[in-house]
Amino acid sequence: MIHFDQVSKTFAASQRPAVDRITLHVKQGNICVFVGPSGCGKTTILRMINRLVTPDGGTITIDGRSIMQMDPPALRRTIGYVIQQVGLLPHRTIAQNIALVPELLKWPRDKTEKRVLELIEMMGLDPSEVGHKYPHQLSGGQAQRVGVARALAADPPIMLMDEPFAAVDPIVRLRLQDEFLRLQQTVQKTICFVTHDINEAIKLGDYLVVLKEGRLVQTGTPIEILTQPEDDFVLSLLGDDRGVKILDLTRAETLMEPFENRLGPIKSNGHRVQSIDPVKIALEMMMQKNTDEILVCKGTRPVGILRWPAIKTHVNRISGGTV
Amino acid sequence: MNFAGFICDNTGLVLEYTANHVSLVIGVLLLSLALWITTGLLISRHARLAGAVIGLGNVVFCIPSISLFGLFMSVPGLGLGRRTATVVLVLYAMMPLIRSVHAGIRSVDAAVVNAGKGMGMTNLQLLLKIQVPMAWPAVFAGIRVTVVLITGIATMATFIGERNLGRLIHQGITRGDADMIVAGALIVSLIALLLDYLMGRVERIIISPGLRYQSLEPYRGSA
Ligand SMILES: Nc1ncnc2c1ncn2[C@@H]1O[C@H](COP(=O)(O)OP(=O)(O)OP(=O)(O)O)[C@@H](O)[C@H]1O
Ligand SMILES: [Mg+2]
Repeated sequence: MIHFDQVSKTFAASQRPAVDRITLHVKQGNICVFVGPSGCGKTTILRMINRLVTPDGGTITIDGRSIMQMDPPALRRTIGYVIQQVGLLPHRTIAQNIALVPELLKWPRDKTEKRVLELIEMMGLDPSEVGHKYPHQLSGGQAQRVGVARALAADPPIMLMDEPFAAVDPIVRLRLQDEFLRLQQTVQKTICFVTHDINEAIKLGDYLVVLKEGRLVQTGTPIEILTQPEDDFVLSLLGDDRGVKILDLTRAETLMEPFENRLGPIKSNGHRVQSIDPVKIALEMMMQKNTDEILVCKGTRPVGILRWPAIKTHVNRISGGTV
Repeated sequence: MNFAGFICDNTGLVLEYTANHVSLVIGVLLLSLALWITTGLLISRHARLAGAVIGLGNVVFCIPSISLFGLFMSVPGLGLGRRTATVVLVLYAMMPLIRSVHAGIRSVDAAVVNAGKGMGMTNLQLLLKIQVPMAWPAVFAGIRVTVVLITGIATMATFIGERNLGRLIHQGITRGDADMIVAGALIVSLIALLLDYLMGRVERIIISPGLRYQSLEPYRGSA
């Protein structure tokens, strides 16, 4: 869908490239998360996709077409953009803010109005309460949701989201992330998502791109990056609780001892998890119930047993005995 | 003090002077708004040009008004009367208006412009849908200063043949007639106050409520 080929950018009056020969591919319907420390070029990469920044080397294509052949305002209207600073228009109501791109695309008024209502509801806000308010009357979390709604308004196939949940407290942030994942189930956009929070990246990403000083350090699925970190930089980015994060992404069925080879009655202490539940859930249950084994089920049918030694061995193997 | 008596005894004259005064001020105001707001917008994209134009406005503003009236009177085609008065007063309005437009445009939060651009607005749409509406509070502050300023300086145009309230003040001084001076000054102040009040009403219609309350409660969304 979106393809970067050897893309570079050096800003004027800067010796070091902000983005250095990046090659990557974002698949249709995927959430691709760009993660790395402040100043590593995440925002610059996003802004190159909608031509707010012009690369000085390499090419970017969308569906095989170079973006340099497209008219910038027209291109931008087909790409939803959630900017890092939210940037709602303070002189317009919330409804008018969300209607911005439909207005630029000259949608008929009733179609726009219907869409605005739909989006305010989709964001979990009350249209009759919020629609006529001005941005300064919203909380930080509400403003960020409106920013997302505005980007979604014209139903663009591609979304660029630059730290959309950065300005809210950790609890609201977790809720927005959950809502975001649920929303993506229904809208199925191709999303380029920027964050410097590795937990957010692992939770939301189908595919992660780890960046450092404008260079691409490692790409892969969250579990690939967690289990095979490229170097010390990625290792330190993942944090000391890498083992626990892995257990959060590993399904119980992966580490269980299956029943298929076993006949006879199943001995159970009554504690059970679903086969697709993360091992972390099973681990928490073991600690709470003070037991070493948990029954793993598919629906109501028991399919295996998960034991504490199996989990320990797994974590030790993957994190080289550091956990 | 009997300035009320003076006004009653000379109603016809006072009305004529007042009408002339108001029409001069309103004409100058309309011309100045059209000219200087456009200029202010045009130069807002070019920092160096803006510096030069604002500098020029400052210089003009610092020339004593009586000498400026005298100078322009001798320009062919202007002469004594309304034309010269209008040109000079429009020049005086340059500094406060261009400055406020420039400051207003520059005060617009870069993040908002950035968002508009990212949504696919053209440069003209950015100007008309974001920069101008967001600059209105600063621009209106400048317009209101200008209104009061022009109403006052317009009295000096009496020296180049304008028959306005400045004449009451001038003649009052030469005759030592305090009532005449007070009558003239009072009506000039009333005109200034009235025009300022009217601009205040217009301001409430034009400036978005989303910006009006901004000074009370900072915009939290852009933290
Ligand atoms: N318009 C610009 N002009 C000059 N330098 C810039 C510009 N934009 C970004 N840079 C530089 O490019 C580098 C990458 O910036 P970028 O904004 O892409 O970082 P980021 O990864 O988004 O950081 P953050 O997490 O802080 O948002 C930085 O060194 C920054 O100073
Ligand atoms: Mg950034």
